[in-house]
Amino acid sequence: MTGNLKNVNVIGAWLLGFLWLWPLLYAIWAAIHPIEYQVRFDIFAPLTLFNFKNAWAQAPFAQYMLNTLIYVTLTTSSQFVVCALAAFAFARFEFPLKNVLFGLVLIQLLIHPEVVLIENYKTIRFLGLMDTIPAISLPYIASAFGIFVLRQTFKTVPKALDDAALIDGANTLQILRHVYIPLSLPTFVAYGLVSISYHWNNYLWPLIVTNSDDSRVLNVGLAVFSMEEAGVEWATISAATLMVTAPLIIAFLIFQRQFIESFSTTGIK
Amino acid sequence: MSAISIKKLNKFYDSNHVIRDASIEIESNSFTVLVGPSGCGKSTILRMIAGLEEVDSGAISIDGNVVNSLHPKERGIAMVFQSYALYPHMTVFDNIGFGLRLEGQSKHEIEAGVSEAARILKIEDLLDRKPRQLSGGQRQRVAIGRAITRKPKVFLFDEPLSNLDAALRVQMRVELAKLHDQLTATMLYVTHDQTEAMTMADRIVVLDKGEVSQAGAPLELYNSPKNSFVASFIGSPTMNFLKARAVAVTKGSVTIKLLDDLELKIANGDTAVSVGDELTLGVRPENLSLVQTPKAHCTGKVSVVEQLGSQTFLYLETVDGPLILEADGSTKIKVGDLAPISFDVKRCHLFNKHHQKI
Repeated sequence: MTGNLKNVNVIGAWLLGFLWLWPLLYAIWAAIHPIEYQVRFDIFAPLTLFNFKNAWAQAPFAQYMLNTLIYVTLTTSSQFVVCALAAFAFARFEFPLKNVLFGLVLIQLLIHPEVVLIENYKTIRFLGLMDTIPAISLPYIASAFGIFVLRQTFKTVPKALDDAALIDGANTLQILRHVYIPLSLPTFVAYGLVSISYHWNNYLWPLIVTNSDDSRVLNVGLAVFSMEEAGVEWATISAATLMVTAPLIIAFLIFQRQFIESFSTTGIK
Repeated sequence: MSAISIKKLNKFYDSNHVIRDASIEIESNSFTVLVGPSGCGKSTILRMIAGLEEVDSGAISIDGNVVNSLHPKERGIAMVFQSYALYPHMTVFDNIGFGLRLEGQSKHEIEAGVSEAARILKIEDLLDRKPRQLSGGQRQRVAIGRAITRKPKVFLFDEPLSNLDAALRVQMRVELAKLHDQLTATMLYVTHDQTEAMTMADRIVVLDKGEVSQAGAPLELYNSPKNSFVASFIGSPTMNFLKARAVAVTKGSVTIKLLDDLELKIANGDTAVSVGDELTLGVRPENLSLVQTPKAHCTGKVSVVEQLGSQTFLYLETVDGPLILEADGSTKIKVGDLAPISFDVKRCHLFNKHHQKI
């Protein structure tokens, strides 16, 4: 019985895996073969890099890539700083209205970013940041999810370590820097990966606050291809999509083990 | 001069008055033990000296300076915790050197400090390990090493041996005593274990419900407890207590009558006792002895025999109440036997109804 169940699990896993992998496999197929093979499977079809060149030439991808890197790095690193400080305060200090404030943070978890799109847009315009990379980052920096997850992790650090560090001569920020953050690294890694992949794939908000190639990110740039009125060239889109997603996929393959370990130890999904 | 001077210290947790007007003087270079049952406030006092707890009223001075509002690092203290509190992500080397690193010392100075501490504690071969790869005893040494590198005026120990097994505890007790001689530092040690207190201390401070019950040298507390709490807390097995009534008072002695009409004449310097007073007689197990029946003060039925080899503890039922008696290791007495008992009246203690020694 348990043997059968195991077999069902294995078959199910392979089926689901294939289902998820299918679009990626198709994109690779379409990208590396001439246009005539985009809906025809022939194992001996000639290989070509033409689609990549074509896609690369149609939009300033290098600029988009740089913008995306800056946006994702800025967002995730700012989130680390802001969320770590806020989480430390919620986890270890007593201050007036602490529970009310933490309740507000939790409420933020329930609000979908799209709901506050217009208010955020007004704020960014008020700050005069329209069409800049910080404008894309700003609404995400005080992440409720980050604060919540880090607070839960910080709460598991034994208080005796605070005492020991105080005796050793550490001030509050040094305790955070030398005790809490190193002990919570798996959470930082897992949260960072979630944040990076979310922002790499972010589309609606960057589309709205950016107008020019100077601040546009990859995902928004990619959309240009599917808006062509002349019809959709799957080969070019596939090549462009692969270029856009490649950094994330490569990073995942490299950090696969840490990725899965972090997720299993921190309970972030 | 006192290394630590505590004056009229008070601490409240909400409405609980956990430390009540505690005043303690701790001599330079002494090994002082704060002892008391759990919840007596001994750890709280230690944490207030360390600066980990706020002082509600009173003054704590270290080397003559009031430290009430100083940050722990400015007090010249180091502390060893019951849970060791080693940083799990750091190697032993980094754990020991963390304080020096925070002080901004050079790499060379840190290495010198750490290897000095490691040499004293014989943990040179463990420096690259993480705390989780160490045994309890090794972790304890690392925690002590971390304290040593700070070169403090005062070492504070918060029940450092209570997580170790019995054999290791005895060994570490000896090593801590040696370390105290080697470092010539003031050590303040908190424990609930009176054996640790008796064996290690130059001076013991007994705490009861947040108050200092008595302070003095170990044998002073053992031989002349000021009250029945100290008398019962110090010594193992504990002192026997029997209800009594004063029937005659003369200068220098009190004659008491126990429940079974047994009369004992107890030497007593204090005459603030009058005939008819309710008293408690305290007598340690070794001050009771098995004798030939004609000389016995009373008899007791043996209910338990604990043979330790060098001595035997007899748990007796008497008309006056239960008694523990320390007999010779070779005694042949058995459970159920009737044991004739004699009191060493020169070594008996009398306590009044306020539990104070009279």
